[in-house]
Amino acid sequence: MTSEERRGRFPPDFLQQLFSDPLDPGYAAAAARRATHGPRPPWARRTAYVLKLLSLVVIGMLLAIAYREAVAAEPDRTRAHAGLVEEVKAAQERTDALQARSEELRRQVAAAQRAALSPAELARIREQEAFAGLGAVVGDGAVIELADAPVPIDPTTGKPSGEEVSRALDVDLQTVVNGLWAAGAEAISINGQRLTSVSTIRSAGSAILVDFRPVTSPYVISAIGPDDMLQRFNDSPPAAAMRDLAATYGIGFSTRDEDDLQLPAAPGRTLRYAEPLDSSPTTGGTR
Amino acid sequence: MIAILALVAGVIAGLLLQPTVPIALQPYLPIAVVAALDAVFGGLRATLDGVFDDKQFVVSFVSNVLVAAFIVYLGDQLGVGGQLSTGVVVVLGVRIFGNVAAIRRHLFKA
Repeated sequence: MTSEERRGRFPPDFLQQLFSDPLDPGYAAAAARRATHGPRPPWARRTAYVLKLLSLVVIGMLLAIAYREAVAAEPDRTRAHAGLVEEVKAAQERTDALQARSEELRRQVAAAQRAALSPAELARIREQEAFAGLGAVVGDGAVIELADAPVPIDPTTGKPSGEEVSRALDVDLQTVVNGLWAAGAEAISINGQRLTSVSTIRSAGSAILVDFRPVTSPYVISAIGPDDMLQRFNDSPPAAAMRDLAATYGIGFSTRDEDDLQLPAAPGRTLRYAEPLDSSPTTGGTR
Repeated sequence: MIAILALVAGVIAGLLLQPTVPIALQPYLPIAVVAALDAVFGGLRATLDGVFDDKQFVVSFVSNVLVAAFIVYLGDQLGVGGQLSTGVVVVLGVRIFGNVAAIRRHLFKA
């Protein structure tokens, strides 16, 4: 077999041929057949014509159906997502409204107290409310800022590289808050959320919850306390630990004195009462 | 002209009647659409070449869809449905591109 023959049988570049001559040879063959044998009988032509129109209708329907399927399939996912986002937003709005209502009611309670109590008793209540976190307070103090590390940037592309961002964690917030209490803070809030002695700071997934309300980076921790509070905090082990974290992982950490801080009241707490256990000596004791 | 009207009528019918595709046939729908597009562009090019033939068009459409669906079905049975679908789409896509290029040359002489 010569190379000539082989080339004839197997075109050397099949792809190029595919691109240059993609039409079915059928159309040309049909045209040639018509040229040699004359046109087909009229009934055959009419049948073919009707079939062609039918095919076109079917093709049109195919296109429409495929379009509808694609449109129907895609938003299912986005719709579910949007629905969830809306639900979360609605729930947050409800929480905000309830909180505003609670504050309004608290103001009414305060007014009623003013009307009913003597100034000395009132002052005592205000003092204790301020310590318990149940009353808004104003005063001088310090602001500590904690923040997630900046998103790592890939130096060659200038885009965010896929590396994990170093985040400030709930334990970091706890450390700072506990350090501030230890340094003599009288009132503390995180991102405008007042803490009480029974507040919780913990993480759920990648979010940090303060008293079950989400807070996000940067975390601004405002504390009202004595003038030397910031100095004592900065000298304390928690601040040293945070400076270590900042140096090692790039987490944002800064402290500054600030005057006239206004801390809101904490959301009202249901009071819990201790109840005496059953007085029989066999069941009491260990709990 | 009537051909275009038939196509449009099909689209409108598909949108208005909202026929549901049986679940079993759904994997073949995209392939069938690509095969149908191949037949349509082949027919359009033949029209411009002056060699269009009704019978040839019908046969090419029906066989395109059937063969494409059969290949995908076979691939599904063999466990390579996705790859074979890709193959079908690539081949038909190449043909569509070639036909569209020919149509473009006819219309724009370029």
